[in-house]
Amino acid sequence: MTVTTAWVLWLLSGMVFILSTRNPLYLLITILMFYWLGLKFEKERKGGQWIKLNLRFMLTIVGLSGLINMLFAHTGKTVLFDLPNGWPLIGGAVTLESIVYGAINGLVIGALYLLFNIFNKALSVKQITRLIPRAFHPIATMVTISLTFFPSIQQRIREIREAQLIRGNPMKKVADWLPILIPLLVSSLEDAFLLSESMTSRGFHTHSIRKYSSLYLVLLIISAFAVFAGWIFGLYDYPKLLSIGLYILAALVVIIIFVVSGRGNPSKSYKQEAWHLGDKIASMSFSLALMTTLALLFMDNGPTFSYSPYPVIAFPQLHWTGIVLSLIPGIPLLIQKND
Amino acid sequence: MINLTDLSFSYPGSTSPVLHEVNLHIPPGTLTLVTGASGSGKSTFLRCLNGLVPHFTGGQISGSITVGEVDPITSGPETMATRVGFVFQEPEAQFVFDVVEDEIAFSLENAGLARDEIDSRISSICKFLHLNSIRTKPIHQISGGEKQRVAVASALVNHPQVLVLDEPTSQLDPHSANELLRYVVSLKEKLGLTVLLAEHRLERLLPFTDLMIHLQSDGQCLIGPPEEILQELDLVPPIITVARRLHIKPLPLSIETFPRIVIPETMVPTLEKKDWKPQTSDGGLDVQNFSVTLEKSLVIDHISFKLNPGEIIALLGPNGVGKTTLLRAMMGLIPFEGNLVLKGQPIKENTLSMMIQAVGYLPQNPNDLLFAETVLDELEVTLQNHGLEKSHTELVQFLTHFGLPNHQDDYPRDLSVGERQRTALASITVHDPDFILLDEPTRGLDYENKARLVQLFQKWRDQNKGILVVTHDVEFAALLADRVIILEQGKVRFSGNPQEAFHHFPGYRTQTAQIFPDSPWITPEDLPFR
Repeated sequence: MTVTTAWVLWLLSGMVFILSTRNPLYLLITILMFYWLGLKFEKERKGGQWIKLNLRFMLTIVGLSGLINMLFAHTGKTVLFDLPNGWPLIGGAVTLESIVYGAINGLVIGALYLLFNIFNKALSVKQITRLIPRAFHPIATMVTISLTFFPSIQQRIREIREAQLIRGNPMKKVADWLPILIPLLVSSLEDAFLLSESMTSRGFHTHSIRKYSSLYLVLLIISAFAVFAGWIFGLYDYPKLLSIGLYILAALVVIIIFVVSGRGNPSKSYKQEAWHLGDKIASMSFSLALMTTLALLFMDNGPTFSYSPYPVIAFPQLHWTGIVLSLIPGIPLLIQKND
Repeated sequence: MINLTDLSFSYPGSTSPVLHEVNLHIPPGTLTLVTGASGSGKSTFLRCLNGLVPHFTGGQISGSITVGEVDPITSGPETMATRVGFVFQEPEAQFVFDVVEDEIAFSLENAGLARDEIDSRISSICKFLHLNSIRTKPIHQISGGEKQRVAVASALVNHPQVLVLDEPTSQLDPHSANELLRYVVSLKEKLGLTVLLAEHRLERLLPFTDLMIHLQSDGQCLIGPPEEILQELDLVPPIITVARRLHIKPLPLSIETFPRIVIPETMVPTLEKKDWKPQTSDGGLDVQNFSVTLEKSLVIDHISFKLNPGEIIALLGPNGVGKTTLLRAMMGLIPFEGNLVLKGQPIKENTLSMMIQAVGYLPQNPNDLLFAETVLDELEVTLQNHGLEKSHTELVQFLTHFGLPNHQDDYPRDLSVGERQRTALASITVHDPDFILLDEPTRGLDYENKARLVQLFQKWRDQNKGILVVTHDVEFAALLADRVIILEQGKVRFSGNPQEAFHHFPGYRTQTAQIFPDSPWITPEDLPFR
């Protein structure tokens, strides 16, 4: 699966499902899919190391979240022990349910982290920034540079740190880091200057959209005013349609600005992604999963993905819809196998 | 093609002009070599051609420039982008994207060309510069030479009439540098490009040069055929020094055009064969069966050598062979296998403090060391780190060895490239280490600054210090080395005397050795005739 749109749908469906469930079993299945995918991406290099690192992160976040909830939430019936009531904020009964509830929240955070981690692995920086509208071409380029800047800054820090270490700097106190910060800052500024020279000499931002910028500014002010007015009308007894109409007007103005200014900017991406059958099937599956999750959230009598350990801890209920939706993030595994 | 009339330029806040009433004409389809001492204004001159000066830098400019029919001063760099391709000194710092073809496509995407047109241009430039095999690779995975070719491709993909390269070979090993220059020459010949190239190491380029511009410290310049301009210069490549000594006219620019010299038998050999000193029992820095593994790949593969006091070893080898890795491991910065013995004392990975007391290390980028307010402060920081003290007079006296006594109160980063390099050297040796490891100390230095380094290193050798110098500059290494080690594929391919290394190993042969293949001479200083 290589198409950017398919991966964006994967991200959206995964994110909505993770945020909509508190069932630890669904979360664990989804997390398992993520680890499997991560292992696949890192296989050629250091898959074991990636698993170990992210497992450590997951355990830390689950443990920390469980601990914090244990100290601050004193509900639940399975009391493990009591902290003196006189202790501000944390005093009271420590329950198994509060630990489990906190740990489930940790699983949600960990799953979201893995989701974005894999999304980052699946797409190149250029593919990600290609998602930014053409009207924001300069911003997209800046984002690209920022994202590629981090690995190089890490290397610079290593080089400068080593240079200072072998000069006898013990690197123990905070003040010892000053010899790293100053060369890092100065060389980063020098590099930034050189990069901007390079970009300018290669025609970056040649086709300026400045001639329309005043008009865009006026239109943006009008749309902001429309949103504000809609909100004010919503506070009083005016018809709801009036507020909604103003919101739609503001949204339309912003979209028109994007489209028009995007056309004024001739820059374009030369790569056209090829859609294979696998990409199409996967995209449809993710779209379907996304719509199903959203529909089930608003259905009154449908299966629920929620789970609460309160007041007494119980084994989470499972429903086939939830199991299928938690397996959906693993679809790229099947497609890559066929590739 | 390019005309400059009375062009003068000063940077903002500066009273003295970098360029002063420069007049010149460069015909189309020529290769022009731009030379001059560090800080003479080579980069400024080149940046005038695409409008970066003054549009990007600010400053005062007068006179006129035309490139083709266009004036960069009035048009600005945006308009010049399609007419002048520019390759900067450090390829890494000029890349916007992390994948080769994305980087090459950058300027075409900015211009909003059609997808088919962009693809066709990328394909043809990749074919021409042999980049097809790395077209989809991440830039951090390709070699230094390939990076420079990607930079050239990115500049050429816009189909400019002029290609400008600012010291493009300064970070490349001899093989990669020659390869890049071959590509540049073929671009000139096949596409009819006008090429301007600034470079310190003239020996590589002279055979291909049609015109030479030498920028002087007063902002003026000499322009003419290289044979004429070289007559005016003091510091020149070895081939010119040898030709001058033999009174050969016109000056030959390449080994191929150098007349065959018959040397009287009585004259050869007049030089005693240089050889390394007998290895002392336990006074040196001994590298035994030394291996380094990085990311599961064996970079240094069981090598052994010993650096003795009072000895200079030149460590040569292609880009990416592991020379810097070896130095980092020797300093205990990365794990190694094998033995490292310092003056009879085995060094373990966790005994970095022992090494930094006895060994000074200059990294590739001297700027990594410099952070203090003044040159003198830099020295004091090192002394404090080592728990040592020296009086102000002693430190000023110490700076005279580096030619820096007048710069003691200057901010180190305001100094010229050569002065900054010497400040860094002073800051790593002020605690008087017994051994000094140097990683590419001549990078970006002109002949004058290199000559100063030669003197400095020879002085250190006389003070019985052991010096290991990693370099791509074979002419510099030949001037200094008592012993040469050539690393290839992580192993020692050669370890022995400089005459053998610089006479017999392709890619490492000095110009003097090529002119006199049957002699032991490797530098003009070795010649018996003056």
